[in-house]
Amino acid sequence: MREEIRALQESMEREGYIAEPAIATALFLAIEMRKPLLIEGDAGVGKTEIAKVLARLLSTELIRLQCYEGLDVSTALYEWDYPKQMLRVRMAEPEGSSPAQIEEVIYSRGYLLERPLLRAITRREGPPVLLVDEIDRADDGFEAFLLEVLSDFQVTIPELGTLRAEHVPYVLLTSNRSREIGDALRRRCLYLYIEHPSFEKEVRIIRARVPEAGERLSEQIARFLQALRGRRLLKAPGVAETIDWARALVRLHADRLEPELIEQTLGVLLKDRHDLSGVRGVEVASLLEQAAAAS
Amino acid sequence: MSERDLIAHLARFSGILRARGVRTSLSDEADAALALTLVDLSDRDEVRRALAVALKVLPRDRAVFRELFDRFWAGEEPADLPPDERRSPDRAAAARRLALRPGRARDEILERESERGDTPGYSPEAVLRGKPFEECSAADLAEMERLLTRLAWKLATRRSRRLVPTAGRGRVDPRRSFRKAVETDGELLRLARRARAVEEPRLVVLCDTSGSMEPHTRFLLSFLLSLKRVAPSTELFAFNTRLVRLTPWVSPGKLGPTPERLAAGVPDWSGGTRIGESLAEFVERYRDELVDHRTIVVIVSDGLDRGDTELLAGAMRAIRSRARKVIWLNPLVGDPRFEPTQRGMEAALPYVDVLAPAHNLESLERLIPMVAA
Repeated sequence: MREEIRALQESMEREGYIAEPAIATALFLAIEMRKPLLIEGDAGVGKTEIAKVLARLLSTELIRLQCYEGLDVSTALYEWDYPKQMLRVRMAEPEGSSPAQIEEVIYSRGYLLERPLLRAITRREGPPVLLVDEIDRADDGFEAFLLEVLSDFQVTIPELGTLRAEHVPYVLLTSNRSREIGDALRRRCLYLYIEHPSFEKEVRIIRARVPEAGERLSEQIARFLQALRGRRLLKAPGVAETIDWARALVRLHADRLEPELIEQTLGVLLKDRHDLSGVRGVEVASLLEQAAAAS
Repeated sequence: MSERDLIAHLARFSGILRARGVRTSLSDEADAALALTLVDLSDRDEVRRALAVALKVLPRDRAVFRELFDRFWAGEEPADLPPDERRSPDRAAAARRLALRPGRARDEILERESERGDTPGYSPEAVLRGKPFEECSAADLAEMERLLTRLAWKLATRRSRRLVPTAGRGRVDPRRSFRKAVETDGELLRLARRARAVEEPRLVVLCDTSGSMEPHTRFLLSFLLSLKRVAPSTELFAFNTRLVRLTPWVSPGKLGPTPERLAAGVPDWSGGTRIGESLAEFVERYRDELVDHRTIVVIVSDGLDRGDTELLAGAMRAIRSRARKVIWLNPLVGDPRFEPTQRGMEAALPYVDVLAPAHNLESLERLIPMVAA
């Protein structure tokens, strides 16, 4: 393994993110090649967290654009501060300024509200980390627009002209795969698919994030989760759920897993009614046995 | 290894991937070439990881990618590579040529899989058995086009949450209102407005092509093809003992898609049915990408199943949990004596929003308000 990749992996770990080589390699390539990194995977596998850790590692600003259906340019890129513009126009009336003078004033940077994408491009203090979260939720039209921004890192505002990126930001995009990301955008990026963690990795995550859980309980939790994810579930629990569950168990002063305890706290892990009713009862016992057999 | 060697190897490996249906483009190869200069080339796992990142290997292709990479790294010549790939010195060009003939690479893969014999109820003789279709009468087709235009129109009038500028109705849009007011010295003379956009329909259709469906398939396939024409984003699948994605076969091309060409693409045409297995495969491989809260999933089948009904119920539940609506079109429902007592149908019923007949044009016409609702 290349030294720089190992170093990146280790520093991510120091920031509390347990990254397997695949994640560290992808991030290293994205940084070195200066290409956006598209990260896909089930909810709760730690996609968003990568961006946060990267921003901390580079000691730079994290600029986050949360996508949703109906997201448009005025929320993502920029908007003129209309109330402020109106006030300025009113104030200019008694001054007797010419319309051209007024326009020059009210269409200047001071009257521009920077939204995440513009902020990422115009940041002067050095390249920020731009996180475009859950890009699968935005509509196809926005995807095409984003592709354009990510290709040129410049934005044209009719009244102001073209704004070029001061520093090309580090761009991470995440998707829960609720729809397929267009080929054009995917090809523009590097691509990382994160799976649910292995047993060893999950133990290390629990140990890092919930140290109070102790070694034995952490291992039991991770084994149980491995067995649970082996079932046909509608919504498999992610790392976020594992951590919540570990915290819940610590709060309940548990030092080992028992069927009754699991039954009581299963709602922390499974958030679908069918999954819950399917696993409750007989399944819990057999999963626990399965987990015990694996140890 | 020199840079030229590296690029030659890469082009060759890309060609091998493409031949097995893993899509890679020239820009991906360029990314991969750059990525390889940044990693430890003696570390096999690291090279594999870097290639997966740079070539953008999707989760559904990961297993194939891994297998091919391991073999390629070991210097093994894939015996099942199409002849073009093995002979031509210019691998990239060969791969490009091959990409223009996806049908052929696919056939080979199908044949290979049948040799392994790991698919239950799947006989090699049935592979790619052509199925002759009589031509639809011109009057039938014209009538169907008219109906489907209506169907598509109904679907297309669903409103999305996205707001677009409109004249004179909808919510006030301060951005554009103020923008206009600036022209009139800050006097708000007219309010600009936005209203919810009209949303494109999203349909996924899974059509049963097994023997028991035989009397209806010609009609239904014409229906599906018309559907694809009026709603281009429609995804089409056929299933009998296995699932086949038909969308690439009916995408716009020089030759108009015909029922004959579709039949050529589906192995075991008119064979037995395994609805549960087929739908489970759909859930596994395609659901996450193709089905979301806006998608209507249409299943066309008589529900006569010789597979696992529990599997079917599970798959239906998984589809239902994600789709906007699940519609089951059953040609048998047209019979007044019909009761949904076939085992398969019974298992699926709890997860179906609409169970409707599909044996003639009239029954499809009745479908319109159900889909649009």
